[in-house]
Amino acid sequence: MKISYYPGCTLKTKAKNLESSALACLDALGVEYEELPRWNCCGAVYSLSDDDLIHLIAPVRDLIRVQEQGFDTVLTLCSMCYNTLARANELMKNDEVKRGTINDFMDEEPDYKGEIKVVHFLDFIRDEIGWDKLKANVKNPLNGMKLAPYYGCTLLRPGDVSIDKSNSPVVFEECMEALGAEIVKFPKAIECCGSYQVLGNPEAALKVSNDIITEATAFGAEAMALTCPLCDYNLGHRQEEMLKKYEGTKALPMFYFTQLMAVALGVDPENYNLDLNQAVSQEFLKGKNLLEKVST
Amino acid sequence: MTEVKAVEIKAKLIPIYIMGKKYEVPETLTIMKAIEYAGYQYIRGCGCRGGVCGACSTVYRKPGSYKIMSGLACQTVVEPEMYLTQIPFYPAIRSTYTFEKLTGKPEEVFDLYHELFRCVACNACSKVCPMDVEVMDYIAALKRGDIKAAAEISFDCIQCGLCASRCMGELPQYHIAQLARRINGRYLTPQAEHLKTMVANIEAGRYQESLTGLKVMDINMLKETYTAREMEPATGGEDWIPKENIGL
Amino acid sequence: MPYPEQLKELIKVVESTRAERVARKKKNEEVPFLSLDARTDRLKYHPDFKDEGRHELSIGPSKGYKIAHEMAEVLEAHSRVNPADVDLSKTDYETDVLILGGGGAGTSAAILAAEQGCKVIIATKLRHGDANTMMAEGGIQAATKGHKDSPYFHYLDIMGGGHFNNVPELAETLANNAPGAIKWLESQGCNFSKYPDGTMKTIHGGGTSRKRMHYAADITGAEIMRTIRDEARNHSDDIQVLEFSPAVELILNEKGECAGAVLYNMETEEYITVKAKSIIMATGGSGRLHIQGFMTTNHYGATADGIVMAYRAGVKICFLHTVQYHPTGIVFPEQAEGILITEKFRGSGANLVNIEGQQFVNEREPRDVEAASIIKECIEDGKGIPTPTGKVGIWLDSPMIEDLAGPGTVEREFPGKFILYKRFGIDISKEPMLIYPTLHYQNGGLEFKNTGHTSLPGLFVAGEVGGGIHGENRLMGNSLLDIIVYGRIAGKSAADFANENVNGSKLSLEHVVKYNEEADKAGIAKDKVAPMLLPNYTDARTREKQLTSHYVGNMR
Repeated sequence: MKISYYPGCTLKTKAKNLESSALACLDALGVEYEELPRWNCCGAVYSLSDDDLIHLIAPVRDLIRVQEQGFDTVLTLCSMCYNTLARANELMKNDEVKRGTINDFMDEEPDYKGEIKVVHFLDFIRDEIGWDKLKANVKNPLNGMKLAPYYGCTLLRPGDVSIDKSNSPVVFEECMEALGAEIVKFPKAIECCGSYQVLGNPEAALKVSNDIITEATAFGAEAMALTCPLCDYNLGHRQEEMLKKYEGTKALPMFYFTQLMAVALGVDPENYNLDLNQAVSQEFLKGKNLLEKVST
Repeated sequence: MTEVKAVEIKAKLIPIYIMGKKYEVPETLTIMKAIEYAGYQYIRGCGCRGGVCGACSTVYRKPGSYKIMSGLACQTVVEPEMYLTQIPFYPAIRSTYTFEKLTGKPEEVFDLYHELFRCVACNACSKVCPMDVEVMDYIAALKRGDIKAAAEISFDCIQCGLCASRCMGELPQYHIAQLARRINGRYLTPQAEHLKTMVANIEAGRYQESLTGLKVMDINMLKETYTAREMEPATGGEDWIPKENIGL
Repeated sequence: MPYPEQLKELIKVVESTRAERVARKKKNEEVPFLSLDARTDRLKYHPDFKDEGRHELSIGPSKGYKIAHEMAEVLEAHSRVNPADVDLSKTDYETDVLILGGGGAGTSAAILAAEQGCKVIIATKLRHGDANTMMAEGGIQAATKGHKDSPYFHYLDIMGGGHFNNVPELAETLANNAPGAIKWLESQGCNFSKYPDGTMKTIHGGGTSRKRMHYAADITGAEIMRTIRDEARNHSDDIQVLEFSPAVELILNEKGECAGAVLYNMETEEYITVKAKSIIMATGGSGRLHIQGFMTTNHYGATADGIVMAYRAGVKICFLHTVQYHPTGIVFPEQAEGILITEKFRGSGANLVNIEGQQFVNEREPRDVEAASIIKECIEDGKGIPTPTGKVGIWLDSPMIEDLAGPGTVEREFPGKFILYKRFGIDISKEPMLIYPTLHYQNGGLEFKNTGHTSLPGLFVAGEVGGGIHGENRLMGNSLLDIIVYGRIAGKSAADFANENVNGSKLSLEHVVKYNEEADKAGIAKDKVAPMLLPNYTDARTREKQLTSHYVGNMR
């Protein structure tokens, strides 16, 4: 028997004893082997050192810009952006070694140690404005709207950046309730919409999204509130595909939570930009007389 | 006064390394003049000699620092022990397009340059830019569809290509910026109304008679007309109008 | 390097008179313009009027014409290549329109010719766009504001600036087509400086009666060049660009028409031939001849090649007895010597000031008058500012602009120069600049008509290589205009010629053979060759040691 043999770098230096003993055993057992004539590091050095920090450069740079701007807190809207910035921030705050590496790489920028607080619009309203004050400002309550707030993943996971309790959040519901909606709670509200799987495996993502919509409908929702453009893409823009593919799925109007807040607060309808939602969403608001109210 | 005679022998000589090879050159020279002093005659790597054409981009290092420095050879003064090379050409793919058919939508830029989204915000481009253009910032602006901002941030770009040479996302930044500026100039900025009116007036022959009058005028008369022409005051505003409307 | 102490002391003098000068400027109290007679008198200090700097051409179609030695010498020189060595029986390239020169004129001509359905080759000495166009900073003139301006006034200004000797048809065509040229550039996406409603910002230039200088910050030429170059690249199927391949001779055919050119690939040192139905000469100017030893603002390849080639082929020259010295070239720091400081600084209110802190000339005189006044102030009146490098200059008081238009204006309106000086440790929003006249523009050139035609059928002219538009002195902002207006005209005319004319097929360099013979008869030394192609700035001591090098002209 003859076999190809890959040694590895350490066996040629610090662990010669591993190699020499092993090869002697092979000889003793009558195994023929041949060392690769051309080989390189197995990659363990790179992968074990976990040096994939390059994707953190962008968010950390943004946080440094916040500091330059002269603030200590930054407000985010898209839940994906919130998640990326908040996680990068946590790492800069807590991981001294990686913080050093990143700061060294960005040697043209001032050092950053995670001083900025990253907040999402929802927890910002909760903590800085409060539901009572929000409620007091409502001009057109969303009365009668059976609304299912959908969190998706990135506002709640991982736990150290969650804006609420990861498995039993209430912030979104409380917010929408303050605006006058009737809340429809459903289990899949904190499950993933399919996210970037839509690029690699669009069919799988479609099924996940369809499950979310059918469950919310089954729980009595007539509309859904979202926080993330990727969720909107999967749950909203791909609804037509779902309706064609899955029997029994019903169209469900989708809104960003901020659109509903704008309706309730009675701001100029120009700011709703409803033309970017599906047609069914606009129809829904009309049906609820929520567009007319504003315009009068 | 010519550049040929510009080099005075009495200037102190300092060592520089041109592509790793040591030469002693007068300390007051720009890199370009130092390379010529050393005995090279440029064919590539030298253009306007005035800091705007982007032909003479140069990268160098100085002792005791890992930093890659950059500059234009025609604008950067030599320093002792600098290690330098010019990069007279660096390949960068440019997308061809029909300008007339564009409309100014961000998607048009995305379609022509998909690689835009390979930017990881490492900022190597801005760091190497000899014109201090915030290259990464205009790429960031384009990723969010802000073509106008990209046009403005990239305005001083001389298209030397150093940004592209350092990019880990392999972007041809300066070509993308050129596209952004053209879109901005044509589609995102209002076109000048007075210009349209004037071109139409000229085509309709409005000034032909007065102009022909000048053309056939006796030279002394022409000189008189010239001397007597009313001068718009230096500090006058846009609404200034001449006292008489001859020639208008 | 920053200003040394002795200059900082002198700057205090400038500062001491600044407030008063700003106040005068605000009240529109200018130094009076010189009368036409006073201008003539002042121009005696202009280098053009130094008789010892010139001689009569001994050969060629303009024999007897007296021009600067440096220009005359390249015109009288032998060809670079022996015509007998060039094989014309088979050509390396064949095209409809061959354009010699890849600057603004050549590029706009190429776009126009391609639009007429022609295949185009641009042969250029450096890279596409490395040209004086790229370096033009201040702006581009056009009478676009009908409530106060028109081609009538533009024409008057052009003629006055040119001492009324301009070719009237050329000046008329320039003024009349100017707004159309700006409109074309705008439609190509050029970023002119505008008000929010799209109205173009316009300012004065030397010798303008109306504010008609359009600009793109302080890199107007670069913005125009990079925009039209980008457009030419969009037509890469029809426009082929041969870089580092300047033309060295024109080729004629048996009908006596221009029918191609011999190019020199400077990198591989091959001579290559191009056959074409029409040829556009757009090779630009000649600052690198360093006439009378002056420093220059011109790019590295500005060596009058096109004039030399066409002159040998029988095209007369005109107005080459005058050369434009830009009044304000950097004279200190030395590293930036010769670099142009745009007239826009003066248009925006900066004074020219002598060692006593006093103004001595209106800042908006035509360029020749302005340059002559600076030379007079320094040389005749001894009121120049001595530089640490043994030269002399005049202050251009840029900080005034901040006082007139608000803090930050200098950096915003002149970003290019602000950065340049910042690198030397000089803040031009706080400290003035030291300037002296620098060789800037070739007023004259080849004779041509306002359709782009020359006396040689098939040969067209566009841009700085042509003479007559600007007479004896060009105004600021009329050269960028010239290259676009006449570039487009030549592109169209050359395309028409290529599309309509039945060309001959027998190619010949006989005119070059004859010219060489004429040069021999006139006793011109054999080692004098032209086109020069590139200057040689190699240190003399290095050249002495190049024991086995063989130089043809300036090049090994």
